[in-house]
Order: sequence, then structure tokens, then C-alpha cells
Amino acid sequence: MSANPTSQKAPWVLAILLLSQVVLMSTYAQHPESEQSILRTWIMTVFTPVARAADSVISAVTGAVAGYTDLRGAREENIRLKADVERLTKELNEAHERTGEYDRLKAQINLPNLPQYRAIAANVVARDTNLWFKRLTIDRGTLDGVKRDMAVTTTTGIVGRVIHVGPNHARVQVITDKYAGVGAMLQNSRRMGEVRGLDQEARCELKNIRATDQVQVGEAVVTTGLDRIYPKGLMVGHVERIENDPHGPWHKIIVLPSAPVDRIEQVMVLLVEQKDIEKELGPEEIVR
Amino acid sequence: MQPFKIALTIIIALFLQLLLSNYFRFFRYIDLPLLVTIYFSLQRAPFLGMAVGVFSGIGGDAIGGGILGVGGFAKTLIGYLIAVTSIKFSLEHPLARLAVVAIASAANTVLHAGLNLMLEQFLPTLETWGAFGRSVGWKALSDTAAALVIFIVLDRVFAEHAQARQMAIRRRFYD
Repeated sequence: MSANPTSQKAPWVLAILLLSQVVLMSTYAQHPESEQSILRTWIMTVFTPVARAADSVISAVTGAVAGYTDLRGAREENIRLKADVERLTKELNEAHERTGEYDRLKAQINLPNLPQYRAIAANVVARDTNLWFKRLTIDRGTLDGVKRDMAVTTTTGIVGRVIHVGPNHARVQVITDKYAGVGAMLQNSRRMGEVRGLDQEARCELKNIRATDQVQVGEAVVTTGLDRIYPKGLMVGHVERIENDPHGPWHKIIVLPSAPVDRIEQVMVLLVEQKDIEKELGPEEIVR
Repeated sequence: MQPFKIALTIIIALFLQLLLSNYFRFFRYIDLPLLVTIYFSLQRAPFLGMAVGVFSGIGGDAIGGGILGVGGFAKTLIGYLIAVTSIKFSLEHPLARLAVVAIASAANTVLHAGLNLMLEQFLPTLETWGAFGRSVGWKALSDTAAALVIFIVLDRVFAEHAQARQMAIRRRFYD
């Protein structure tokens, strides 16, 4: 069989294509902000509105089905919710009392107020498209004031940080991603460490806490602000378990994130930049 | 085969990958752009296999995260190798096609992991050999199961071409 001249060219074309992609890979691999590429921005800018529209339709259909199924058992739920409202109203009144007392004491010792950050709500339109990376895509971008390295949270705790931003979308690296890191501390003992993603069962690990330090299961873990991405005092999660090596110098603390990072649908982007967090921390804490 | 129809197939595969993985966690194990690459590579046309591999690979990198070009490299190479193999051997039987999918899926995972290691990128599934082996196995199984449906759909969409291909294979191998 005589070889077709077009077929003979195929290995050369393959070599050129592979070589060009090696160049592409090398270019992005050595670039510290490799997530922010023009090609990625273009593709996601086109896909996001369509994904958003499809998400709205799917949410409407699943919402209607869920609404019907939720009607069953609504009576029992109503009784339970009324009891909850009574209990929560009592707790709210107590909290108001305590806040008033706290404000008065704070004014007496001239303690500065915690900064209030502007936030915008966003919908999650895509997540984890492959095995390798834990990313969320949200439907807010530069046109809404979102920038790289802004913190993404929910009312219950932090979700992650913006690593790529386009005009109408942003990609969020969640805190359970192996690459993610958060400056964090134990709320009671104020011991500082770093929360790293574990990728397993949507958990994180609090690192760099000495084995001699006392840690309680259930203790809250909050942000320190020292990473200059997450403002100080945001909830990260709670200590779920401690897996200590008896001869190791550090605790192995497994943290259950407070925000449901693996099934989240709506988030808030804190419109806070590094300079705002540095201002809040003050020079002493930044040096540390 | 119309280039427009092929381009549209790649775009739909990328879009479905983006959309469905939001609702079904198991979709992380399925690689629709890879299945599209394998389908067109089985058409015994190396250039088509490579072209679909480049676009679906880079598109997959763009929607998925990580370094651009890693998926493109893996899928281009896989597209070419499948196309060349399908010229030399008859891969028309459904079981042969499924075997190709399983092998290509495993090769794609190994290439993806290897390239990321070369670029000093840590991947969670590479933590232990056991975890990596499980990832390769589950992905191959999921991709093969998904190919059962995807290939039937694509055979219908590209029915004319599928018939022409089958006739050509019959002449080449059996007449």
C-alpha cells in the first residue's frame, strides 16, 4: 500500500501541535498568575451567561418539585419552627443586651470598631469540572467590582478566594482545595496556624499548632487576616478531630468548614482588597 | 463531515461538562471533551482526531482550571494515536470502541498527572499510588459507561458519516 502524502504529514503536524502546547504550558507554568489567562477569560465569558440561564431554568424546575414534596410534613415543620422562633427571639433579646453592654465597655476603653465590608451576592454557576481542582465559578466579575484575591464567604463562614476574574464571572478556589491556604487561629486559645485544604470529604487541616498547645474538639477556627486575603475574625470552621502523632511536634487538627463548600449555591464576595486588610491589621501584625 | 457541526459538538460537550458537574458530583469522573475526541479519532482521520483533541483539550483546560495546554497536549496525542490505530486495525465493533475508550481514559489521566508533575504542580489524586490507581480506574470506568450513551447519540447526529465509515472499513478489512 502506498502511503498517502497527507497521512505522511500527520506526524509532523502532531509534532508541531504538541510543541506549541509545550510552549503554552511552560509559559503559564512559570507565570505566578497562570489562572488569569486571556483564553480562559474569553471562553468563560461566553459560557457563563448560558450556564447562568440554564441554572435558572434547572433551579426553577427543581424548586417547583421540591416545593411540592416539601408540602408533605409541613404541619409538623410549622409546629417545630414556631418553637424555634420563640427560643430564637429570647436568644436575640439576650444578644441585644450583651451587644449594648459590649459597646458601652468598648467606648470606655476606646477600642476601635470592627470594619464593615461591602459585599455582593453571587450564584455558583459551575464547580469541579474535573478530578484535579476544586473550583467554583460565580456569576459576578470585574463589572461588579470583583478583583483577584477577594474573599468569598457565606453567612456561616468563608468559602474561598477569587483566583481568576473575567467581566461577568469569577473563579473561586475553595478552602478545601489542596492548593488553598488561610491564615487562621483557634478562637479560644488564639494560637495561630495555617488552614490547608485536604481535598478529602470537604475537610481542611489546621497546621503549625504545637503539640503542647491545648486544643478542644469543637473549638472554632477563625481567620487572622495575616494572609491579607481574608479579613480578621471570619469563621473558618470547627475542630472536628485531632489526629496526633505521639512523637510529632505539631498537632494534626482536622477542621470541618462552617460553610457547606461542597454543595454551596449562593455566596458573597467581600469587596475588600489587600490594602484594606493591611490598614485594619496595623504595621505590627503585618510584620509578624 | 461539516466542520461547523463538529465545532458545535465540541462546544456542547464543554458546556455540558461545565453545567452537569455543578449538579452531579460523579460528573467529575467523566470527561466529555475526551469522549468527543475519541469518537472523532475513530473516524480514521488523524488530522480530524488531532484538531478535535487540540480544541476540546484546551477548552477543557479553560473551563477546568490548572495550566492551559496540559489537557490539550494529552488529548491531541490521544486523538492522533487512536486515529492511526483505527487505520491499521478495525475498531468498529462496539466492544472494541469501549476498550479504546477505557485505554484512552487511563492514558489521559496518566498523561495529565505526568505533565502536571513535570510542571511541578501538585495534584491531590497523586498523593499515594493507591489513590492514583483508584482515580485512573474510576475515571476509565465512568468514561466507558458514559461512552455507551454518548457514542449512540453521536452516531445518530453524524449518521451519514458513520455509514460511509462502516462501508469503507468493510472494504478495507473484509472484502
